[in-house]
Amino acid sequence: MTAVVATGVSSVVTQLYTIREFLSQFQGNEIVIALFLFNWLIIGAMGTYTAHGVARHIAPARLTGLVAVLLALAVLPTIQLLTIRLLRTSLFIPGVSVGFYHVLLFSFLTMAPYALLVGFALPYSLFILRLARPDYPGNRIYITDNFGDVCGGALFSFVLVSYCAPFTALAIANGLLVLCALAVCHIAGISRKVYVPVSVVIIFILGAGTLVESWTPGAGRGKLVHTTESPYGRLQVYRQHDQYALFSDGMPQFSSHDPISAEESSHYPLSQLRRIDQVLLISGVGGILTQVRKHQPKGIDYVELDPEAAITQIAYGFLTPVNTLEVIYADARAYLNRTDKRYDAVIMNLPEPVTFRINRFYTSGFFRLVKSRLSSNGVFSFSFSGFDNYLGEHHRQKISSIYNSLAPHFQHVLLLPGEKIYFLCSNAPVSSQIPDLLAKKNVGTEYIDAYFSGNLTPERISSLNQSIDPGTPENLDLSPYLMTLMFSQWFDKYDMSPTVFIAVLCLLCLVYLSRLRPETFVLFATGWVTMGNEILVIFAFQLFFGYIYLQIGLIITVFLAGLLPGALYGGRIKHRHPFWLKITDGAICFLMVFFMVFILPAADRLPVSVYLAYGFCVSIVCGFQFPLALSIGGGGNSAVAHSFSADLMGAAIGTLITSVIMIPLFGIQPTAMVLVGFKLISLGTIHIFAGD
Amino acid sequence: MDSMSWSRRRFIGCTAVMLCSAGSSMALWPFSTPGGPSDIHGRIFKGDAPKTLWKWSHEAYAYRKLSKDRVVCGICPNRCLLSPGDRSVCRSKVNVAGKLYSLTYGNPCAVHVDPIEKKPLFHFLPASRTFSIAAAGCNFRCLNCQNWEISQAKPHEVRHSELFPDQAVEQALNAGVRSIAYTYSEPVTFFEYMMSTASAAKAGGLKNLWISNGYINQKPLLDLCKVLDAANVNLKSYSDKLYMKLNGGQLQPVLNTFKTLHDQGIHFEMTTLMVTGYVDDPDMFKRMCEWILTATGPDHPLHLLRFFPRYKLERLPPTPVSVLTRFREIAMAEGIRYVYVGNVPGHDGNNTYCHQCHRLLVERRGYHIPTFNISGQHCKFCGTQIPGVWNDHSGGQIQNPNTAGREMVTG
Repeated sequence: MTAVVATGVSSVVTQLYTIREFLSQFQGNEIVIALFLFNWLIIGAMGTYTAHGVARHIAPARLTGLVAVLLALAVLPTIQLLTIRLLRTSLFIPGVSVGFYHVLLFSFLTMAPYALLVGFALPYSLFILRLARPDYPGNRIYITDNFGDVCGGALFSFVLVSYCAPFTALAIANGLLVLCALAVCHIAGISRKVYVPVSVVIIFILGAGTLVESWTPGAGRGKLVHTTESPYGRLQVYRQHDQYALFSDGMPQFSSHDPISAEESSHYPLSQLRRIDQVLLISGVGGILTQVRKHQPKGIDYVELDPEAAITQIAYGFLTPVNTLEVIYADARAYLNRTDKRYDAVIMNLPEPVTFRINRFYTSGFFRLVKSRLSSNGVFSFSFSGFDNYLGEHHRQKISSIYNSLAPHFQHVLLLPGEKIYFLCSNAPVSSQIPDLLAKKNVGTEYIDAYFSGNLTPERISSLNQSIDPGTPENLDLSPYLMTLMFSQWFDKYDMSPTVFIAVLCLLCLVYLSRLRPETFVLFATGWVTMGNEILVIFAFQLFFGYIYLQIGLIITVFLAGLLPGALYGGRIKHRHPFWLKITDGAICFLMVFFMVFILPAADRLPVSVYLAYGFCVSIVCGFQFPLALSIGGGGNSAVAHSFSADLMGAAIGTLITSVIMIPLFGIQPTAMVLVGFKLISLGTIHIFAGD
Repeated sequence: MDSMSWSRRRFIGCTAVMLCSAGSSMALWPFSTPGGPSDIHGRIFKGDAPKTLWKWSHEAYAYRKLSKDRVVCGICPNRCLLSPGDRSVCRSKVNVAGKLYSLTYGNPCAVHVDPIEKKPLFHFLPASRTFSIAAAGCNFRCLNCQNWEISQAKPHEVRHSELFPDQAVEQALNAGVRSIAYTYSEPVTFFEYMMSTASAAKAGGLKNLWISNGYINQKPLLDLCKVLDAANVNLKSYSDKLYMKLNGGQLQPVLNTFKTLHDQGIHFEMTTLMVTGYVDDPDMFKRMCEWILTATGPDHPLHLLRFFPRYKLERLPPTPVSVLTRFREIAMAEGIRYVYVGNVPGHDGNNTYCHQCHRLLVERRGYHIPTFNISGQHCKFCGTQIPGVWNDHSGGQIQNPNTAGREMVTG
């Protein structure tokens, strides 16, 4: 049983580090994140599904087999991480970002060995326990695994992510598996001549991983001079000749000698104001403080969520500290919610909204909040990816959606074209004659003075502002339409369509569902709804409370933790009857309706504990269902494998569909309703096919 | 426990299989070349031609008919062999019933008036404005394309305006420009439209500028030269491997283009984007300079542009400014007389210095020219002839017409 706990710890820690590695090697948008989770869960489900057959025909359940599995599980995460880094640059052109199907195939293949084995390990451990005690209850292994998962989640969120680099963290988490394997060897009486050398080799590999911690092969980046793993991602600074470049999760964010971004983002808004007292910068671009200072504001507040990022930006000269600067380490939305300060200018320098976390800064709700913190004629500005000579249709829809979200809150919104499109918003008129305004203020610039008139001709400015489509839906907090457009443009960029993937997925799903028993279908639906709920709660939480890493970690841990008492209670029910499945399905529906009716409307006024309590209740009910469905299904080895895999399959598909399709397309309320509807189908299925 | 029923060999074998399984995933991968695909050239779109032609269709300029209604496009080195119903690599030509048609005749998707320095052309009518037009399509697949939304699109996929050749010339004249630039996407793919417009422009007293990747066959290029006044052609690197890997083309046809332009006496300037980690190889660059000197001489200006992450090539840092400075020095040391640094505001490499007396001839502040010391075609100081087509200014300051912009104020 200790081995099962260790496997749970290993699987969660490995999953989270693998996802972080993928995000730093590939595009970190919500589709890619969902795709990794989907692959992980679906491969795990395959491993679980095939466990019974494999144990019967290929590798009979034996302690030696378990030792081999544990040792392989211990070493595979390190190899997996190295493989991802090596293959990323050997299979793809270095420096190039890749599209949907490449990411899908790459992540599937590189994750497959570990995820398949970890899925296999759970039922295989049970089969071994049943060698000694044939009536060993399947739900106990489920509970033990969940306990391991909770420990792994807590270990990652509260210890490893803050104090350890990836390979070190993997060595710690998976070192437990080696110890377990040695203990099993001792119990099984396996010759030391066999297991000691193998263990030594594995410990050597785990240790060797820590020696190549910061190494990522790549071309054209220069010499790596700084690397940090912050809770929010990987920060790296490369030096090439006299240039420093800061990369966040593999994407260049800042570089020295980049006056264009610094001048545009600071002078476009500040030139509109005669007198400036307070300026708020939401994140920054290299050299921006130097430019802002030319307008002699009394105070500059700089909000940066990740302290590590701010420290690195200052340490490598991307931001030059000034006397009037105050650095605030907070989520900008949370900060604006709580501050009473009024700003003459709010300048936002955030990436495009490819994740729910970033999308919160491009919604009508956020724009309203910013306006409430501006002085009467204050200016709010931010940029979006630009275009050189032609505004693509997806791009046009994106800026239209943003414009339409801004328009209700600001009387004047001006768009300036260029490498980036700048939105200048104010209740006072906004002028496009930036060089003249700067000349009046006696502010000299290198780029704007020289290039503005040729790059931003009146015809180009006018053409951009006239291209706004008033019919494009607003981007709302609870209905992030902009993300749908971001996804469409992403597929467009790689000339790909998700249609084939969706068609294949639907087909496989139908085949799989047709083979499920009613009680296993309940587990499939529960896996789906649980993950859907987790995504909804995290989405709503970060929307209203800001992105606070530890609290998000807490929510995930709570969602795992509730499964434990649920499964314990479920295991104690004496009369295991489909009736209980109906009761629990009904309870899930009730909880979700409660979420929609009572939590969401008052989401920003409720304490964090309400979200935690809700997550805990949902997971208790879900945990309660598992042993019931398992025993109704017979509780044999085959039933165990199929039940585990149904739960994982449901979770995989639920993750993908909820985060990539349902929330961006329909918004949070309809998504919650669809999840309730799906659970009602499960309730109907059990009522029709399993009776009372 | 019957643990020993698993033999030692089986145990070690099983463990080894587990350890190696991660590596085995590599064998399943569709691309086997290290560093990604070695050639990203475009492919013909089979059966993708529209059923009926639209208003902006025009029979193609140079193509050959084959048996079974097949045709071969003769404009660029891709030489697309199209069966009826097929669409070319550049996406803008289709075979309809055994005839090759261009779908980009009179339907530009981008029309702007730009400073000529933006093309960049530094030695041709400085501080003038040019009427710039582009239609959809490109015969390359550059990973860093800044105009990918039109270059990697089919004509019907983009918004366009109607502007037939005569209308384009009329609009250009109304805009008060001195030239028409065929630019942004790849004018080779709208060759027919470019040729007709250029002929009309020449008749109307306008100059014609060709801003291109230079991937064109010699015959159409010779025809184009009859109406062409100046060109800026990309020399993306001096490596066939890099051309195939980053651009989806080949080097030699581009080199041929430079030789043809030179032989035909067309004023042209060359542009190299210094893609970090790929093009910034000093040895390759020296070989490139040697070729330029041998084939076209020292007088054609060379622009070294700073790379910024774009399109798919977005995980690289910008080119360090010191690298651009160093490469400029290398090129000038090799013997190229006019080497410029682009995309770096305030860099000394924006200015023109006399290759003979090294005095400042043209000072550029972006698109403004505060100092101009060329008289006629000669250096004002030493009288050396400066290659290019210069305005007839007696010296002093040129005011760029773009500075006289209208204000846009909201409200």
